[in-house]
Parts: sequence; C-alpha cells; structure tokens
Amino acid sequence: MTPGWWLRQRHYFLYIVREFTALPLALWLLWLLFEIHRAAGGPKAFYASGSPAFIAFSVVCLGFALYHSYTFLSLAGVIINIKVAGKPVPSRLIVLSQFAAWAIASLVIAAALIGFAR
Amino acid sequence: MAEKRITIRATRFDPDRDKAPRLQSYDIPFSDESMVVLDALNHIKSHVDGSLSYRWSCRMGICGSCGMMVNGTPKLTCNAFLRDYWPRSITVEPLNNFPIVRDLVIDMEGFMQKLKSVKPWIIRKQDYPLGAGEHRQTMDQIDEFRQFSECINCMLCYAACPVYGLNNEFLGPAATALARRYNLDSRDQGLTERLPMLANSEGVWECSFVGECSVVCPKGVDPAKAIQQTKLDTTMRFVLPFGTREE
Repeated sequence: MTPGWWLRQRHYFLYIVREFTALPLALWLLWLLFEIHRAAGGPKAFYASGSPAFIAFSVVCLGFALYHSYTFLSLAGVIINIKVAGKPVPSRLIVLSQFAAWAIASLVIAAALIGFAR
Repeated sequence: MAEKRITIRATRFDPDRDKAPRLQSYDIPFSDESMVVLDALNHIKSHVDGSLSYRWSCRMGICGSCGMMVNGTPKLTCNAFLRDYWPRSITVEPLNNFPIVRDLVIDMEGFMQKLKSVKPWIIRKQDYPLGAGEHRQTMDQIDEFRQFSECINCMLCYAACPVYGLNNEFLGPAATALARRYNLDSRDQGLTERLPMLANSEGVWECSFVGECSVVCPKGVDPAKAIQQTKLDTTMRFVLPFGTREE
C-alpha cells in the first residue's frame, strides 16, 4: 500500500473524505468546550456567538457535518435488516425513514432553540 | 485492412532472478470482438512467451481462478473484454494485497486459512439422520442467505480492500460473507462456533466500511453488507438480555 492509495480512485477518495469529516467536527467541539469554559468568567467572556472566526469555522464544520450525516444515513440501508409481517423492508425505505427522522429531529431542536432564544 | 492489435503489459516476476516485479509489453492480434483479457494471456502463452505464469480454469466466471488487476481494478480476466479497453493498452498485474509467487500468480494460502477458520459448512449439534429425508427449506429461508452463497472465492474483494492491504490479519470480505451465508441458513447451528473468529479484533470490527469489496464482486455478492450486519448482530447479542440471545 502506497501512501497515496486513497487518490487512486474516486470511491477511495470519498471514503477518506467521509472519515476525515470527524476531525473538523472534533475540533469544533473542542472550541465550543473552550468557549463554555470561558463563560465561567461571565457573559462578556463568552464571545463564541459574536466571534467571526468561530462563525466562519462553524459554517465550514456544518458542511462537513451534513456530508457525514448524509453518508451515515445512506449506509443505514445496508446495515439495517428488519422484517415487517415476515417480509424484509426495502433498503430504500429504511434510508428514507432515517432521513425523515433526521429532518423531524432537526425541526424539533431548531424550534426548541428558537423558543429558548425568545 | 490492417490487422487490429492491442498491447498487453503483464507483470513478470521470477523470485529466483528478479528483485522486484516488472512490466513486459506484448503486442498481440485483437482478432475477435469477444476476446477477453484471459484470451490475450492465453495467446501470449501459446504463441509469444510460454514462460508467462497465471491461474485460470473455467473461462466462464464460475471457478474464480483468473482474478487479476486489469488497469488497476480487480477483475476476473475471463470477464474483462478487450473491446472495452481498445485502442488503449491493458496492464495486467497480480491481485493487490497478496504476495506474488510468480508473474501473475499470487499466494492464496492466507486467504484459505481465513476461509477455513470461519467453518463455511453446515454445522449441526446433532446430525440430521438420512432416514429423516430432506431437510426442507422455504423460499423465504433460502432468500435469507442466497446472495452470500454466490461467492466463488475469487479474492477480488480482498484486492479491493484497503483495510486488508494495511492489515492482512483482517478476516476480510469473502470469509465474512461466507460465514454469514451459513449463519443465516435455517439448517445450520454453528453460529457460536463462528463468532470467536467474526467478533475478535481482526474480525468484522476491523472493517471501516470502504465498500469497494461489494463494488468489485463479479457475482453480485455484497460482502460489505455481510460485515456491517454481523457487526449489528454481535452488538445486539451483547446488549440484549441474555434470554433473547440466539443459540
């Protein structure tokens, strides 16, 4: 295996991108923890939401998070093997149900956050 | 009209003389649109260079002997048509991730040991007596494992797997698919005998789901599915209350 094996074909490259997405997400969480730690010094010390650097990094991380979620939920159709009334549920239906659950969970969290902000 | 020709670049390696494998070019006639890479190799062996070594047998995608890297992709050479590559040259190399014995022949001993370790045969706690007649299965029971039984042990999935390339102790795609084939068979009772191999540190948990094994399989088997579903099964066995675990 050469160090550049993952550049040999598109499928390997997309796999590495999928795995790589965990790194910026971990960095984002570390940054958030740091900001929460600063919040112990009072509201003025916590500047995450007002920091252009944090917002820019968050937008980049959102892209990675969306790609990671998309690949994760798409693979659910391969992994989950369930039967209803003795018949296997088609992979496509499993994937659709995952995306639907994702959308509903996102709406609920967004509504809660907006509610708290008010 | 000039005769149509194609260039085949094949790996040559004699462990007694060569330090490293090298490529040798052969310019051969492309006389028939139905010619496959294996036909080209057979032409070279018969008419150009009798010393070229490679494995083959059935010529019809059943025996799984003629797997090689064709322009960097693992393929059965009996199923790789020259017309899909011409007028470009074709580079034929031994399967990735395996030691080379000679030229295009790989050492498959490691794979054979892995295959044997998952006991890919029907295991019964008590033999089903011949006098009891056939051990019948419904179509639904057959459908549970049918696709995994199509595996022909051609090892293309191992050549496509970067995890196996980095760690050849990994049990790998085909062996797991065949283990699952028997674990899902209603006649089999050998799950607990196979689990130690499937669930150990070099078993299914080594797989990081690249998925290329399923892409290159010439028989439509989905080894990536077998591996991920085995992960799910072993996890459920661990977290479910003891009484609901399958025997």
